[in-house]
Formats: sequence, structure tokens, C-alpha cells
Amino acid sequence: MKLTPGTHLLSPRWIKLIRDLQAEKERMLFMLLAITVSLIAVGAVLGGYAVLTREIAANYLGTRPFHATLELPGGGGADVLTLARQHPAIQDAEARDVVLARADVDGNWRSLLLFVIDDFAAMRGNTFTPLTGAWPPATGSMLIERTAISMLNADVGGRVRVKTAHGTVREVPVTGLVHDPGLAPAWQERSGYGYITRDTLAALGEAPLLHELRISLRDPAASSQAIETVAADLARQLAERGQTVHEIRVPPPRQHPHQRQMTTILFMMFAFSLMALVLSGILVATSLNAMLARQVREIGVMKAIGARTAQIARMYALLVAAIGVAAVAVAIPVGLAGSQVLARAVANLLNFSIADASVPIWVFGVQVLAGILVPLLIAALPIRRASRMSVNVAITQHGVGSDSLRLRTAKLPWPMRNALRRPARLVLTVGLLAAGGAMFMTALNVSNSWERNIAKVYETRHYDVEVRFHEAQATAVAQRILAVPGVTAVEAWGYSPTAFAKQGQVDVVRTYPDRGHASFALLAPPAGTRLVDFPVLAGRWLKPDDTDAVVLNHAAAAQAPQLRVGDRVDLSIDGKATSWRIAGIVEEIGSAGVAYVTDQAFARIAGLPGQARMLRVATQAGASDARTAIIRAIEQRLAGDGVGVENAMPLAELRTAMADHIVILIRSLVALAAVMAAVGALGLSSAMSVSVLERTREFGVMKTIGATPARIIRLVVAESFFIGALSWIAALIVSVPLTWLVDTLVGNLGFVAPLPFVIAPGPPLMWLVLVAVVALIATLVPARRASQMSVAGALVQL
Amino acid sequence: MIELSGVGKIFPGGEGGFIALDHIDLSLPAGEFVAIVGKSGSGKSTLINLIAGIDRPSSGGIRVSGTMVNELDESRLAAWRGRNVGVVFQSFQLLPTLTILENVMLPMDFCQTLPPQQARERALRLLAQVGVADQADKLPSGLSGGQQQRAAIARALANDPPLIVADEPTGNLDSHTAQAVLQLLANLAQAGKTVLMVTHERDMTQFADRIVTLADGKVVAQTATAGHARRLPREVAYA
Repeated sequence: MKLTPGTHLLSPRWIKLIRDLQAEKERMLFMLLAITVSLIAVGAVLGGYAVLTREIAANYLGTRPFHATLELPGGGGADVLTLARQHPAIQDAEARDVVLARADVDGNWRSLLLFVIDDFAAMRGNTFTPLTGAWPPATGSMLIERTAISMLNADVGGRVRVKTAHGTVREVPVTGLVHDPGLAPAWQERSGYGYITRDTLAALGEAPLLHELRISLRDPAASSQAIETVAADLARQLAERGQTVHEIRVPPPRQHPHQRQMTTILFMMFAFSLMALVLSGILVATSLNAMLARQVREIGVMKAIGARTAQIARMYALLVAAIGVAAVAVAIPVGLAGSQVLARAVANLLNFSIADASVPIWVFGVQVLAGILVPLLIAALPIRRASRMSVNVAITQHGVGSDSLRLRTAKLPWPMRNALRRPARLVLTVGLLAAGGAMFMTALNVSNSWERNIAKVYETRHYDVEVRFHEAQATAVAQRILAVPGVTAVEAWGYSPTAFAKQGQVDVVRTYPDRGHASFALLAPPAGTRLVDFPVLAGRWLKPDDTDAVVLNHAAAAQAPQLRVGDRVDLSIDGKATSWRIAGIVEEIGSAGVAYVTDQAFARIAGLPGQARMLRVATQAGASDARTAIIRAIEQRLAGDGVGVENAMPLAELRTAMADHIVILIRSLVALAAVMAAVGALGLSSAMSVSVLERTREFGVMKTIGATPARIIRLVVAESFFIGALSWIAALIVSVPLTWLVDTLVGNLGFVAPLPFVIAPGPPLMWLVLVAVVALIATLVPARRASQMSVAGALVQL
Repeated sequence: MIELSGVGKIFPGGEGGFIALDHIDLSLPAGEFVAIVGKSGSGKSTLINLIAGIDRPSSGGIRVSGTMVNELDESRLAAWRGRNVGVVFQSFQLLPTLTILENVMLPMDFCQTLPPQQARERALRLLAQVGVADQADKLPSGLSGGQQQRAAIARALANDPPLIVADEPTGNLDSHTAQAVLQLLANLAQAGKTVLMVTHERDMTQFADRIVTLADGKVVAQTATAGHARRLPREVAYA
């Protein structure tokens, strides 16, 4: 509203307030901008959170995920299903299978998970929905998951060359596309997802058996423990009927495989948004404090002519509330749009479809409350102080004083003394800028920590390619692969899926139906392996003469947190419990749970002397093309020897998979860091422009005694740099523990282990440059204006 | 009637603080134009600030028209001040973002003495009485010093207070304008208001009924004068 003299729509005090707003519009815009940006972040994050949590129910839980899967080596027939469905605690049961096959993608073999469904029209759980094409797939064809198109380089109407463990290579037409929200996106897992019938499985050369009995309980909210109990009971009943249960898989109930990452992302984003809002509130308080300082005399006059403390306080509180309301008005629609973008980005990470993107009303309620209450609460102190000032003190106050300067500052350079004249404001400004800077540096440090984490994939693994066989092979195969051009080292490793075994009970693992997430394997490297070098967190690594020693990686240790070095642990190999003593715990970034034992001990226990299930191969390839060529050559050599390859994965795929899992978190952190930086910069700009305006008369005095405009500008800019430097030091100090905290939080929530603590020189230097530039820009304009004002003009100010 | 008994005011600073007023006992009758004179630092501004409730005494009691001003809490003091005291400052202290008319309406707004329309009418009337009605819609920066001080006097009269305090009201004015402002204040006393004016210029006391002289925080003289002879006839009333 533009109020010109002579307008009398409102009472004079509100007219005054509105005109004050007009007079201080630059500062008001600063405040408005800071709160708006923060509120947009809060709205986007909360809105995104609300949409995503609702869509989890609509997507993942909408697939009706089975509570448990019982692995039946003999395959489950109708009798098994009947028995399961008759169990009083079981709601439904279905026989399924998941076959690990391989797909030829442009001449390279990529892993392909084939989900075998007995009856597409009568799925009882782990459902997925057809998007386009055939339903169900005809015999000999397959449907693929929508996120697998890029992985298989095939779409509906295309054909994929598929090879299963026991079959030959077959061309399988892709006849339809499905959406399976129960799976992580294929591009993240670096694998294809196909859906076939049992007949197609047979056509691919595999026995048409369904080895998985999947069950859902009557109690949809059953705990892991309750699910295990029911599954174990069913396994016992099956055993009584001669049906062996090899393993029970109970993934975390009602939890998408990537839910933890989502929670981490949203938690971090929410924490940063809230901090941005608090920073904005502080900015409001700083700016308001400055405005009140300029209006102290007017406040004194108003009180002298009858205004009560409460009336004055109400006026300025209303001003802050008005800024909050304006910020809310802008932030709600923009935050809403942001929430849609965020929800879609995270949904993409989780392979969700957003069916309903509407943001619940409570999110707007929080925005309204936060936008108005937070600035009001933070501004309450300066408002209270100003409105309670006695009339006499207020009226006799002249511009900026130095009454409150009690420090011994006389020996400091003049710009520093100037900055210290208002200690409270200095603390607020430095605090604001330091908080923004600390978060900016923290976000970039965490980003670097993550890069460092990913770098560990290569630093701790000195091989390029991992080759797994369908069946155990003689270790001599390693020598033949060593002869492949470009291969520099090969080690033959033992491999077996495993589980923490309980005597007399079927193994229970946490693995999801994709067989990847939360899985647990036993690996047996040769003595003195040179291809891995994991940091030891506790105890020691394997020794060649170890016979019953096991080293757990941190992901495995996290599955059984009660275990300590020196404890005995039972691990299951092919359904048999084997006893080991924990020799150490290592950090292995980018892997599911692994227990390491010596190849000799493994061969003895598994009954496979001189045999291996896996090769780890180091090559001299520098680029991915060269590596791909070497892998092809290895594959050809193995095929020539009649060795069935389950999977041949370059290590680069693991790195890509890890990066894809977390990339959105890092980008979000950096985006929020930019918000923090913007709020901090606005704070410094506001404080410096106020500081200069307040001292216009002082500059007039200086000019009368000979100060040149350039001298005044230099003085003010130096003061601004001093404040910037103080804040930079404070930000640097705060960023160190904050980085550690966020590294620990993000690492533990998302990846079981803290991210490596990295304090690189880049972020502090970037912040230093940013602060210097902001300090210069924030000061130069008002300092120039003040320095160019005529002496007479300057002396009548304030 | 204004009564001060044993009023002292000590400002913090230095050893034991600075004694601005030293046990002042003073009685001023209502309806007089009282000039408070003295050298710089004698305590005259402090004295009227205490009487107007702008500051609080360190000791003693101040009774104004039966109210013990020093015993009121901040909120009651503000309400009392708004309705009972009109303050005129040396540097006018009109709020720069409000027009002259709005400045005069402001005390009525704070004290809620009149609804906006009536407040506006009264403000216009007061501005007419001090001779600046034609400047009503201008901002203070557009007026001369004399015009601003006249507007400030109109503002002081807004809630029709029985007491007007003026601290060096002519300090920023030329002699001709100063005379006119003094005449205005004298007329207020003539109309029944009690006017307390601080000045350090003896010749500005010519309109006063009484002159109180301060030195080093003490009342050293109190004299009645014939200043009232210069006033306008009593029938010029200030509403």
C-alpha cells in the first residue's frame, strides 16, 4: 500500500508503520527474502515428506509385500501352498521364484533378475501393475520393469538375449512394461528386471519349479520377530512332511529397500530447512534491531506523547508479522511447487509413481505458523528492549553510540573498534553469517566425505572385475584367466550365501525378494590376498593359518550388533551351521553383509577343496571400453571352457550404483547450503547497510575535518571485512563438529557406517571468497552514498 | 498544582554518580507560565522531565494535580502522561514520516481520546489555532522551524492536558519566531494551562508568571514576574 501524505484511511500509528516500511523497503526486502526462501525450503521438504510417506503406502505397501519367503530347494507344489494357507496366522501364500540370469546388452552381459509368476492374474502379494503391452506375457516372452529399459537397452517390441544358469542363450521378446514399486530402480541396482511365466522359465532351460514360498500374515503390522516365529513354525510343519526349507527371508516389514535413504534425505533436508528458518528469524531480529535503533528517538517521542510500552511493542510486532504473512503468501505456492519436484525426485529414487501429489493442509499450517511465529519469537527480544526503553534515554540517544563498548579496544585498528561499537549487533551479524557459513561448509564437506566414501570402493579393492560362477570350479581356472590379455592378477575365492545360524533352526536372513538388499554372504579369499585391503575397525584381518577365524564386514556386524571380536558365531553354509570365532571387523564400503574366512577353512567346511565360486580379476584397463573388452575376453575364455557365469560385474558398476543411491542427497545438501549462504549474505548486507546509515552524521563530521570519500569507503569496507573474517573463523570452528555429526548421521542412517570425516580446504576457501565479495558489495553501495553526501546533508541526519 | 518534596536525581557514572538534582522542594501553582532557568548542567531539563514523568527521581516525591507521578508504573505513567502532559521539545521531534496533521492526531490515537474523524477535526482546529492549518498535509521536513514548533505545540495540546512542558522550545528558532512561540505558550497559560518552560536565555522569560532559577541541581531563586501583562486576552481559548 502506498500511503501518501493526506491519506487518512488508518490511524496515525499504522500510517507511520506503513511509511516506515516504505522508507526501509530495502531492509524489509532483505527480511522478506530471507524468510521466504527458508519457508519455501520448509514447505518443499515438509510437503515432499507428506506426499512421499503417503505414497509409500500407495506404492510399496500397495504391492502387498509378503512378510516372509521360505526357500524350498525342492520347489513348492499345491500341497505346500495348502499347508501354508491353513496355518492360523497366515493370511495368504504364493509360490514364486527369482532366477538370476544374464542379458546381452550390446555385446556385454548384464545381470538380469527374472521373476517367475505362476499366475499373473492371481497374484496374492508382491504385486506389480502392467503399464503397456501384453498381460500376462505369452510363453517365451517377458515383461520388463519400467526402470530396466535403460539397463537392458530394450523396450516393448524389442528382444533381449537371455542366458540362464542351465540354459542356452535365447532371444526373448519384450512384450510389455510393468511398474514394480517393491523394487529399487533397476538403474540403481545395475541390473535388469524381467517377469516371466513358469513355462517361459522352462523354455529358457531351467526346471519349471518355484522355489520360493511367500507368505503374508493375518496381522499386517506384525513385527520381524512375529513373522520369524510364524515362518519357522511353517518350516517345521513342512519339514515334518519331508519338505526341506533351506532359508527363511524376512525383510524389514513394511519398509521399502530404500526407505532408510529416503528418511535420511528428508531428515537432513528438514533439519537444514529449519536451520535456514531460524537463521532468517535471526536476520529479521538483526534488521529490526537496526531499524529500532534508528527509531529510538521516535519511540521516545511517541512514549512522551502518551504511547504505552505495549502499544509500541504491538506496532513493531505487527510489522514483523506482516513480513511473515507476506513471506508465507509467496512461500506457500512456491514451496508447493518445490514439494512436487522433491517428491518426484525421491519417488524416482524409490521407484514410486506419485498417484496423488496433493500436499495435506497441515503442511501449509506449519508454514503459516513458522513464517509468522519464528520471526516474531526471535524479534521479541529487540522489540521488548526498544519498547521498554525509558523516554528520557530514548530521546537523548544520538545515532550510534559507544556506551555499550566496555571492551578494551583502544589499541585495536579503527575499523575493528567501529565494528565493536554495537557488540550485540556484532554478535548477531557474526552469528548469522557464521551459521550460514558453517552449514555451507558442512554441506560441501559432507559432499566431499561422500566422494571420499565412494573413493574407498577403489582404494580398498584392487581388482576391476568380479566373476561369479553358477557352480564351483577348479581354482586352476584362475590361471587360465590370468593368460587373458590385459589381465594382471586373478584370485579364486570361495563364495556361499550365509546367515547367522541358530542350532536346530532354519536360517533366517533379512534379504529382500530382489536377493540383493540386506543380503549376507560368506567369502573366502586366498591366503594373503592382494586384491582387497579393508580398514580394520576391530581385531585383525585373516591370517593364512586361521582355521576357524571369521572377519565380518561392518554391514554384517550391523546385522548382529551384539557380536564382539572374540565371540563365537554360527554361520550357515548350505543349511549347515558352522562355528567360527570372530577375529575382526572391517569397513567395506559399498557391500552388503559379508563374512570372510580363509579359503582353506572354507574348502574344508564346504567340502569343496581346490574349488572356487568366484574370481576377482585385476586388469590394466584404464577406461571402461578397455575393461569391457577384457571382460568379453574373459567371458569367451570361460565359455570356451564350459564354465557357467552367473555374473561378471566391473567394479565401476558398484561405484555407479552407490553414487546413484545417494546423489539426490548430496545435491539437496548443496542446494540447501546455497540457501544458507544466501541468508547469511543477506544478514551481512543488512547489518552493514544499517551500520553505514547510522553513521552518516559521523561521516559528515569526518569530512569536515578532512576525510576524503575514498578514506571513508576504505574505513567502512575494512569494518565489513573484519566482521566477515570473524564470522569466517566462527563458521570454520562450528563446521568441524557439524560435519562430523552429519557424516555420522548420514553414514549410519544410510549406509551403516559413518562417512569418512573430511575437512577439505576448498569449502572454507570458497566461503571466504564469498564472504569477502558479499562484504564488499554490501558495504560499497551505502558507503559510497554516505561518502558522497554533502557535509551539511550528512550533519542533519539522525 | 505541582509539588516536589526532597526530589533528587543522580545519574550513574563517575564516583557515586552525577547529582543532577539535589533535594528539591518546590510548589508551583496551576495555571501559571513558569520559566525554569539556569546555566547548562544546572538540572533544569532534568527537573521538567521528572515533573512530566519522562524520567524518574532517585529520591523524593512528585505530585501533579493530586497524582504521585513517581509512584506510577510504566504503563500507568504512559497513560497519565498522554492525558495530563503535553511535551514540547527543543528540536520539535515531529515524526518525520507523518504529516503535520497526523502528528497532531497521534496522541489522541495512542490515548484513544477521540475517534479518528473527531481527532482529525480537533487536530485541524488546533493547527488553525497555532497558525499552521494550511500546512496540515505536509511532512515536517517541508516546514520551517517555527512552523514545526507551532505544530509541536498543537500536538502537545491534542489531548487537552492541564500541563504543558517545553524544554528550550525556542532554542532552534530565530528571535522573531521565538517571540511568536513564547506568545503561544503564554496564551496557553492564560487559557488555564500550567506551562513549564526550560530556557537558558533570560530574555525568554518575559512572558512568564514565575521564574525558578536552578544552579548545581538546587533551586536558588523563585520569583514572580509581570510577564502575564504581555499575554493575549483570556478569551482566546485553546480547546
